[in-house]
Amino acid sequence: MAGLELLSEQGFRLDGRRAGELRQLRARMGVFAQADGSAYLEQGNTKALAVVYGPHELRGSRGKAPHAQALVNCQYSMATFSTAERKRRPHGDRASAEMSLHLKQTFEAALLTRLFPRSQIDIYVQILQADGGNYCAAVNAATLALLDAGIPMRDYVCACSAGFLEDTALADLNYVEEAAGGPQLALALLPQAQHIALLELNARLHQDHLPRVLDAATQACRHLHALLDRVVREHLRDAAALLGK
Amino acid sequence: MQRTEKVLQLRGQQGRSVRVVREHYLRPDVPCGSALCQAACPRDGKLLSDDVTHYIVPDWKVVQDYLEILEFPELKGIVFMQTACQAMQHQRGRRQYNKLRNLLRDARHDCIMFFNEFQMLSYLPRERGESLEKWQTRSIYNASVWYYNHFLGRMPIVMVTDDEESVQQLGSETEGVFVISFKNYLDNFWPDLKAAHELFDSILQSRHERESESQEHSGKEYPEHVPTESLEAGIKSGRYIQGVLNVNKHRAQVEAFVRLQGASHKEKDLRTDVLVYGTKARNRAIHGDVVAVELLPQSEWKGRTSALCENESEEKASGEVYSELMPTGRVVGIIQKNWRDYVVTFPSREESQSHGKNTQKILVTPWDYRIPKIRISTQQAEALQDFRVVVRIDSWESTSVYPNGHFVRVLGRIGDLEGEIQTILVENSVSVGPFSEAQMCEMPVVLPEKPWKVSPEEELKRLDLRETHLVFSIDPKGCEDVDDALSVRTLPNGNLELGVHIADVTHFVTANSYTDIEARARATTYYLADRRYDMLPMILSANICSLLGLVDRYAVSVMWELDKTSYEIKKVWYTRSILRSSYKLFYEAAQALLDGDPAAAAEIPELQELDERVRKQKLDELIWAIGKLTDVARHIRAKRDSCGALELEGVEVMVQLDDKKNIADLIPRQPLEVHETIAECMILANHWVAKKIWESFPYQALLRQHPPPRQEFFSELRECASSKGFTIDTQSNKALADSLDKAVDADPLVNKLLRSMATQAMSNALYFSTGSHPQEEFSHYGLALDKYTHFTSPIRRYADIIVHRLLLAATSKDGKTITKNLFGNKELEELCNHINNRNRAAQHAQKQSTELFQCMYFKDKDPEKDEHCTADGIIYSIRTNGVLVFVPRYGIKGAAYLKNKEGLVICCQSDKSCSWKPGCLQRFPDRIISIPTTGESVTLKLFDHVTVQVSVQNSRCHAATIRLQITSCKPHRTSEQEPAQSHPISKMDLVKEVTKTAEEAQLAQDKAKANTLEEEYEPYRQTKGVSLYHLLEEIKDLALLDVSADSGA
Repeated sequence: MAGLELLSEQGFRLDGRRAGELRQLRARMGVFAQADGSAYLEQGNTKALAVVYGPHELRGSRGKAPHAQALVNCQYSMATFSTAERKRRPHGDRASAEMSLHLKQTFEAALLTRLFPRSQIDIYVQILQADGGNYCAAVNAATLALLDAGIPMRDYVCACSAGFLEDTALADLNYVEEAAGGPQLALALLPQAQHIALLELNARLHQDHLPRVLDAATQACRHLHALLDRVVREHLRDAAALLGK
Repeated sequence: MQRTEKVLQLRGQQGRSVRVVREHYLRPDVPCGSALCQAACPRDGKLLSDDVTHYIVPDWKVVQDYLEILEFPELKGIVFMQTACQAMQHQRGRRQYNKLRNLLRDARHDCIMFFNEFQMLSYLPRERGESLEKWQTRSIYNASVWYYNHFLGRMPIVMVTDDEESVQQLGSETEGVFVISFKNYLDNFWPDLKAAHELFDSILQSRHERESESQEHSGKEYPEHVPTESLEAGIKSGRYIQGVLNVNKHRAQVEAFVRLQGASHKEKDLRTDVLVYGTKARNRAIHGDVVAVELLPQSEWKGRTSALCENESEEKASGEVYSELMPTGRVVGIIQKNWRDYVVTFPSREESQSHGKNTQKILVTPWDYRIPKIRISTQQAEALQDFRVVVRIDSWESTSVYPNGHFVRVLGRIGDLEGEIQTILVENSVSVGPFSEAQMCEMPVVLPEKPWKVSPEEELKRLDLRETHLVFSIDPKGCEDVDDALSVRTLPNGNLELGVHIADVTHFVTANSYTDIEARARATTYYLADRRYDMLPMILSANICSLLGLVDRYAVSVMWELDKTSYEIKKVWYTRSILRSSYKLFYEAAQALLDGDPAAAAEIPELQELDERVRKQKLDELIWAIGKLTDVARHIRAKRDSCGALELEGVEVMVQLDDKKNIADLIPRQPLEVHETIAECMILANHWVAKKIWESFPYQALLRQHPPPRQEFFSELRECASSKGFTIDTQSNKALADSLDKAVDADPLVNKLLRSMATQAMSNALYFSTGSHPQEEFSHYGLALDKYTHFTSPIRRYADIIVHRLLLAATSKDGKTITKNLFGNKELEELCNHINNRNRAAQHAQKQSTELFQCMYFKDKDPEKDEHCTADGIIYSIRTNGVLVFVPRYGIKGAAYLKNKEGLVICCQSDKSCSWKPGCLQRFPDRIISIPTTGESVTLKLFDHVTVQVSVQNSRCHAATIRLQITSCKPHRTSEQEPAQSHPISKMDLVKEVTKTAEEAQLAQDKAKANTLEEEYEPYRQTKGVSLYHLLEEIKDLALLDVSADSGA
């Protein structure tokens, strides 16, 4: 498919978005009753499911566990049916392991782990359908699940990717745009304090362009924050209405 | 944020069909791109005009097949639907699609693209079981209806399609949206646009041919091409080699070379090009295509032929001698086609009859030898016989020996000067119409009674040099477009202030204006032998921008403060300025002033009117300035020589001399120092500007590089030199220059030839964008500078305009407004490639037009009788069946055979004249011996002088060529010398002078091919006053006079 025009001269991307626009976001919280917290999130065609257990007692070897704070345990996996060709290993491969580590770092920065010494918080994220921005969808879904579980956090963690193409920064890349091989920046942001929980860049990008790409990602994260916040408030209203009766 | 529903699309990809789901967002705010719009569509960018009678929406099939017709500027108000554009991209490939894109980008064409698939209401999902074609037509129709409704029915829409069914079905569905066939459309709306109708017919016919052919044929002439994916994989793995196909002009049927590109050859240790032998192995690739080749086993390798050969289509059966074997391969696939418009000639009546039955299909012969014959379907063959015609190639199936094409337009009669010049232009893809009205509207109005004036706002912004500085320009005589001027003065602290002032073209040519777009497309002013095509409209190039004497002009100035004694540069600054040039000198006058010739002052018009005292004082000032300038230039040059070591001095001096003696006037022999002074100042300015823009825009500055040449190219030079006992050291530019300086023979031509060989071995200097190259590659080999650019001739070169914009953005205080108009690295690199290509085309066109005039000059002369056709030549290269000869008198380089077609070799009589006899040839590195069976053998050595007879070989389909034949082995004594003795009239001297200048001008032309140094000295080349053609005419006239004089005496 050589020669796909990822960004037309009139400023449209392949799927009809403009450079700074996000994909459609839909989310639900509390999708499973048995877990402590859970959420389902769609960013365009990328679909993620996040489940949270804890905080609970430490399991497994205590040697590694930090003393003064809770252990955050993350596992990232992709469903075998999530890609165009069936995936052999849903988790445990190198890419998933790296992604798990990223998630762990992200949430260690956002959770108030010191409130729960000698305990453990488990976050499981599964990508049901992959169409670019898997990490971001995973983070956003996990945030909702953590909120559902009621675990204290500093702020929402909103993640969004951004790319750079022909002197323009593109927000929220989809799979085709990712596969084109340009630079891709993933940003996880605590939007109110403007703290960066994680920042990853996977190809060479000239430093002159970095501020622009970073700006695009930050802007996208802010929008995401507004959207996630709306989801949470709606969920809360529904729950409160039920309780009220 | 508006986000609307999401739609799934299924796609099968080649190979395994994979299901791909893509999102698709629909939105209400897609701009309609028309000036007519009443709704709140954003109105940035290009808009369709609202004063046309209707908008036309071509169907996808029409866009694919008839894009060339849609390119006609007469057709206005074209809406290309996104659906059609995407279909084009998928089915016709990137090249065609880029054509469409350029059309859309071009502000002069009244057409836009509408994103109908992103518009909420104009989008239609594809229905289950609906074919892609049907859906595309339906979408486009639906979008047309939307478009119609969007303007509340105020503009009728015409949708043109090729599909009869949809014409029937949709034709009357909506009022105001008409669906008709393309043929119908042309007939009804453009009955007078004849060219479009002809083009339509020829496209239609070639399409029918293709269809019928693909059905009937099954016998394959060529192997199929390997699919793209396997090509890419093959190139990566090193199995195939990627490169550009170059067909050998002299053996177009058989030999072609692939110049390697990309990384693949590094591992393979391939030093040379790959030979592709025969048309079968070439597998439908055409000269200039990027191809993938597969190497053949070593046992099948061949060598390149070193025999001289004419462009005859028959293969030479025997006597072919090959040099050493070189890698040989065959083309397996074409990565990028490089088809362009070709000029062809239809076969003459006799030939076409012998071709026989099928009169519809005609094989036409391209003007360029390297292009294969093209099969054209047309009924106009009879009528087009005597014309040069432009055709385009459509396809080349593996079942066909020749490619299929269609007829586009007529250029002119064969042999007609105008037609032949047009041919040269088309072959070099140079398109230079008169400037359009829209462009002229942007020009400031200047009337004789109301001359152009400096505006008060600008006066505030610019540095005013009118009162403070003595500014003057030095150019060739009769020059109109003066784009550089100089100033020098002493500062209060004793230091010198040197200023180079360049016409401020960018003030008048704003970025992305029509004029700017046109200039960018042209990229340079084209100089042909008898005319020139300006890059900018006359009013700018010869009037408002030109720094003429005694009028106020805008300029961009580079000023240096120099130490009073050491001339060290203390400070440099760049500014926009207003100046009034006090003197518009020409080189000879300036040199005369410099030499202290008192008579020179009388020639300066600016000084005529003044009284004696003022005049004296002004003259002194001027002389001081020129003297100081020369002094400074000497210093700068010496510094450059010592620290970097530059230049093939002789060459450049020689070229200077040629340019200088711009033909009409015959005065100086010696290169003038003033030339060097001016050139040095320009180089200095260019160098400092390069530094500045590179510092300010390290990744998007336009610079000029001259890569060091490859050593193996020098081997011929070294061999030639060693035959005369010289050694040439080519290790560095300094060593090369030194050893060339030492290689002085009794015959001055030897040195000239060696130098021209050295220049030819070098690669061209190129423009590039700094973001795309590592810093080590910035340097300029010829000038020995680490950074260089072109800044000093914005009137003639587009690169300079870009550099001006960069410089102004770099120096302006509120950088924002101007930086907006700069190019990014990628765009700039593309633009650089474009400019480089155009420059090359300009050089080729110039050379070919010169050859054309040479041929026209010799055409009417009888080689046997006319003494002008016999001249002295010098041998500069030895081949197996002949020698290459340089004729200094006419500046012609050509081949002379020692063995003719019947296999007879040249034989020397006792009086040293030559005749043909049976025999054989023996070739050695530095000499060639012809041994006839009877009579003496002839030995010709490198740099031997011989007498040659010049004749013209006419060719119906191609450019005429000059033929040389050795008539005697001794140097030719020009017959002029004898009459000159008997008739010591100045007229004879004049003839000699004229021819000498011609010769040297010619030498310069020959060099233009590879000569980069010459380019650097172009700043003072400016307008070519009187052309070579006039000169040749003049020689002719004089010759007539001589004859009469002789007979009279």
